[in-house]
Amino acid sequence: MDKTNLKTTLKLIVCILLATFILDKVIYFTFNFLSDKVLSGQAIGKLNHYIITKDTIDVVAFGNSRTNRHINTQKISSSGFNMGVDGTSIAYSATLIKMLPKNKEQIIIVNVDTKNAFKDSYSGDDVNRLNVRYHRDKIIKREIDNVNLDDYIQKFYWSKGYNGKVLGILKNVFIPKYDYRTYYGYDPIYVNDTQKQIFQNYLKYSDPEVDCLDSYTMNSLYRYYLKEMKVFCEENKKKLILITAPLYRDSCKEDNSKFTKILKEIDIEYYDYSDLFIENNLMKYWKDEIHLSNEGAEVFSDTLQELLVTPL
Amino acid sequence: MLFNSIEFLLFFPIVFLLYWFVFNKRLKYQNILLLLASYIFYGWWDWRFLSLILFSSFVDYFTGLKIHSSENKKVRKRWLILSLFSNLGLLGVFKYYNFFASSFYDLMLGFGWQVDDLTLHIILPVGISFYTFQTLSYTIDIYRKEFKPTKDIISFFTYISFFPQLVAGPIERASNLLPQMEVKRVFKQKWFNEGAFQILIGLFRKIVIADNLGAYVDTIYNNSEIHNSSSLIIATIFYAFQIYYDFAGYSDIAIGSAKLLGFKFNQNFNLPYFSKSITEFWRRWHMSLSFWLRDYLYISLGGNRKGIIITYRNLMITMLLGGLWHGSSWNFVVWGAIHGVVLSCEKFIFSYKKTSTFGFIGYITTFLIVLLSWVFFRAKDLNTSILIIKKIIHFDFLMPFIGDANNVTISIVMLMIGIFFDFFLYKNKYNLEDLGSTFGEFKFVSLSTLIIVLLILFYSTSNNFIYFQF
Repeated sequence: MDKTNLKTTLKLIVCILLATFILDKVIYFTFNFLSDKVLSGQAIGKLNHYIITKDTIDVVAFGNSRTNRHINTQKISSSGFNMGVDGTSIAYSATLIKMLPKNKEQIIIVNVDTKNAFKDSYSGDDVNRLNVRYHRDKIIKREIDNVNLDDYIQKFYWSKGYNGKVLGILKNVFIPKYDYRTYYGYDPIYVNDTQKQIFQNYLKYSDPEVDCLDSYTMNSLYRYYLKEMKVFCEENKKKLILITAPLYRDSCKEDNSKFTKILKEIDIEYYDYSDLFIENNLMKYWKDEIHLSNEGAEVFSDTLQELLVTPL
Repeated sequence: MLFNSIEFLLFFPIVFLLYWFVFNKRLKYQNILLLLASYIFYGWWDWRFLSLILFSSFVDYFTGLKIHSSENKKVRKRWLILSLFSNLGLLGVFKYYNFFASSFYDLMLGFGWQVDDLTLHIILPVGISFYTFQTLSYTIDIYRKEFKPTKDIISFFTYISFFPQLVAGPIERASNLLPQMEVKRVFKQKWFNEGAFQILIGLFRKIVIADNLGAYVDTIYNNSEIHNSSSLIIATIFYAFQIYYDFAGYSDIAIGSAKLLGFKFNQNFNLPYFSKSITEFWRRWHMSLSFWLRDYLYISLGGNRKGIIITYRNLMITMLLGGLWHGSSWNFVVWGAIHGVVLSCEKFIFSYKKTSTFGFIGYITTFLIVLLSWVFFRAKDLNTSILIIKKIIHFDFLMPFIGDANNVTISIVMLMIGIFFDFFLYKNKYNLEDLGSTFGEFKFVSLSTLIIVLLILFYSTSNNFIYFQF
């Protein structure tokens, strides 16, 4: 490569890096500004809503879509909030719990799926769902760094945190999905005809028997997050309760019993509701094998209400 | 190593810098670096299978020289057969043994005879179909006296394993790539701009368009029995674009990377969905494979020189084997058969009507036929394919399954951008391969910046490139 080519090539590369760096920051700060206005939608709005209400709520439920769709926290407390978000797991929940106010009495419900606790492959990467606030929140930054999710691209291009969220933010800025003032995080599923047909077909074609795992050793990262949540809650006057929401069928119960045993050992209160509907398993309670319909969710929420009626 | 991985993002700049600044003094050094880099690139997946590439390379290097050195037709043929036997033998064992063993087992069972299960636990070596076809073209060309073998073993081994095209093509023939391996490469600014721009477009096509579409396609096709016809139609249309942008994207990155290292590959995709017939489609889709099949299989079988019936037979054999090349499953055979039948019909119609196009309606019929064939390409087995076709035919007008609405929205918006860009290329008769060098510096930087920002904001966590499995 001669000097002229080297000069031109370097110039192009530097210009592209510089232009992308500047444009990235413009996009990042623009979307920070816009997203702060967004208080509806799962990806950004719910997190923002949680951040502004976390200091005033007294019951909060964490977990994945089986929390979001199943637990009506308003039945437990009028200042309850459901912080369940699709596709998240224990790392995400633990990080959000650590953002709660210190020394304020609160009931923390964490919905867990016991099988996930025994997966070797669990890497805590669900915490990455919070990377939209990586550069803005010390706790989130620490927790993301903690699971070795060092993302060098994101350290250069900050707007990577908004990956996949841009259209949702723009939509919710102009047309909010719901009025956040009357929203408390619970999204029951009103099952439509297509969903009913899909579930009926699923039951027709699928094998009800599932293979159990070969071994039941709890994932070390999972165990770490359980302990972190416990310590934080104990030190900050919070009551931590773990639950497992109902399943349409759960042919392998070894993980449930092993999980119950481990939680007893580490002294965390745990209630397994996976078989809640085993005696009266009506189709109207279900959207699919793992998600309750609005009717099923109301029954389940009533059960939780009975459990938690005792005041703090 | 995948092109869309962090490893490659570090690997390629290191190779690029060493190539142009440290190993640039002599041709031999350049080739040794490329050979080592290619073996690292392949070994990153599984170093044990490097032995197969080495074996193929050794066999074809020596058989090539032997074929060339002999004037005796029988001797030449013997060496060619050795090359064919070795290469196709490896491909047969690793790719097709289990398919034929299980088909034989099923057939016997059909007759009511119980035989032992003969299948073996074999891993399919990545890229074996691609480099096998590449090495075969070398010995066949020498046998046909269309190409002279090289004595430079380093150049030859580098040609076989050259990392931009090793695992998923384009299938570069020796006649194009090997002469480039034998001359010292000189950095060309024009090629740098073209290559870099094509890599960015390739990444956009792959990790933004194809991978976003793939999320919906996987959801529907992995449980096709539970979904309604509307969902299956949408998923099939999405898949048509997913596989195109996935493979064309891969080819763009391969061609662009090669250009940055001073090599010019042939075009592999030329806007195939803008075809007015299946015949035209195959001149635009996976061109390195379709031209390979034409030159080494169809023409070897007699092509269209032996009468109309033999021509149709040759077309069918070529397409059936072309289907089987993609994977050892009856689905791929049916996929090839659909294309073979339609190609034969078109040949008949074109010769009868003395025309070579169906006009505007051809765009629609071609896309619909390709769409139908993709069902077989994507479904997990033949029964599932038939079930999907039946469901689509019995259209039930139910609401499609949407799933992640955000993902579906992004998929559609990004797909529109992709189609718009392709239409722009088609309308203006631009070649993507040359586009980067037509921009001034400001435009080049601006467009590159725009693409990088789109990549950051809309990439999807990706799967392997679809064509890796072939």
